[in-house]
Amino acid sequence: MAKFQYIFRGGAFVTPGLSPSEMQAHMAKWYSWASALIATQHNLGGQPLQTAGATLRGRAAVMTDGPYAESKDLVTGNMLIEADTLSAATELARGCPVFEFDGSVEIRPILERDS
Amino acid sequence: MQDPPAQSAEALVEDLFRRESARLVSALARALGPSNLPLAEDAVHDALLSAMQAWRFGPPRDPKAWLLRAAKNRAIDLLRRGRRFTVLPPELDSEQTLVSTVDDALSPREDCENQLSMMFSICDGRLSAETQITLILRILCGLSGKEIARAFVLDTQTIERRLHRGRARLQELGRLHDVSDAVEVAAREPSVLHALYLLFNEGYHGSDPEDPLQPALCADALRLSEMLLSLPLTSRVEAHALSALFCFNAARLATRMDADGVFLPLSEQDRSLWDAGLLARGVAHLSETATGTRLTRWHLEAGIACEHSLAASVEDTNWSRVVVLYDALFALSPSPVVALNRALAIAELRGLTAGREALLAVACDPRLAAYPFFWLARADIERRAGRTSDARPLYAKAIALSRSRAERVAFERKLALLQD
Repeated sequence: MAKFQYIFRGGAFVTPGLSPSEMQAHMAKWYSWASALIATQHNLGGQPLQTAGATLRGRAAVMTDGPYAESKDLVTGNMLIEADTLSAATELARGCPVFEFDGSVEIRPILERDS
Repeated sequence: MQDPPAQSAEALVEDLFRRESARLVSALARALGPSNLPLAEDAVHDALLSAMQAWRFGPPRDPKAWLLRAAKNRAIDLLRRGRRFTVLPPELDSEQTLVSTVDDALSPREDCENQLSMMFSICDGRLSAETQITLILRILCGLSGKEIARAFVLDTQTIERRLHRGRARLQELGRLHDVSDAVEVAAREPSVLHALYLLFNEGYHGSDPEDPLQPALCADALRLSEMLLSLPLTSRVEAHALSALFCFNAARLATRMDADGVFLPLSEQDRSLWDAGLLARGVAHLSETATGTRLTRWHLEAGIACEHSLAASVEDTNWSRVVVLYDALFALSPSPVVALNRALAIAELRGLTAGREALLAVACDPRLAAYPFFWLARADIERRAGRTSDARPLYAKAIALSRSRAERVAFERKLALLQD
């Protein structure tokens, strides 16, 4: 089994005008999906990220508030996943509710130092 | 390896976000003044957005407290930023008192006062009935513009414009009305009652094609009508009548649709599934209305609902009494729907011919021509009279006018009875 990182971008968290009911329903979907992956022992832990924060950039490590990425590119959270292959990890990501509001998931294998 | 959090998202109280939105927006709006209603709405929306973000891998130990804190902090944040641009009441303008004022405003102890206060403020005579109810749905029921638009089968822009105008009018009021002013309370109470009636109806037989029953709206309407009883100045008799009506109808929500999401005729509903607790509560409310001196439509509608709710079956219903009540209701409030329901009651009491005549007597009303249940009523009478060839096109008309799958399939089932 190998480890992967899911990086969630965009979606409901950057979509304006959602009603309270829609927000709760959407959150419940995330919870269902994440819990199901815990039950099948794929999900090693997820972390939601606050939208506002700080960015340090470049040689001079200039600090800005932010990030101010375009909404659909804004990273909103991550999840550590265990799966056999990249293909398997990608399949598991298909159930993610992020797509409901046009978000995306990046699936990146974690490079292990020791094989 | 991570264990699933102890509390599941399903265990999160159903409707938590919507109800907390209503509670927090009402509280902030009352404390901050009507000119800050948009700020109140923004603060609460941002708090919910944060919660949606933060709770997706597991809810916190105390969701309500979390939301309260988030809304409070956001409101204080927005107030500090907006201080330069908005005139705030003195207790919010001063940094010393800002935090404690917002704290007190959001305390659950104040909930009832906040919501009553908002209800009466909103039902201002300078706002149209549609705008009043739109604001109530937004502020007191936590519905979004989109959800309200669906409820009224209008587009979202129309609703947003109504909300915008409503907020502007509320802003002109300055401080919210103190509900201890007896004259104002008396003047506005009819509007408040009417708005709650419309709210209940939207939940009982709403216009959303996907979701014609919204029990949460019925529950909110009942909660708010019973809340009126806690205020010494409101007409207890009318609030009791309206609450009785809501209880009797809400008791029967469970059987209005079958498992397939299709409306069931009254004759096919399993009355044993009607909520006994709500029925008893309805009876209790109705008994409090006997002391009133004025007969309102709420009394009559509650009386009719009572007859239906307490009867063992359609056949056992006291149709004589129902017709008497409908006669009085029609005299007071001659709407086409009342006329239609009256005709149906006449059919039960005096036979199909009398029912047919009563329906034809109101057939020229253009509003009924567009109302599918009118054609259904006519079709049912012809079918029961054995006039199959007359019934068929009438059912077809009802089907053509149906506004949801729940209605359409219900009508199609009736049509199918003709093939037997």
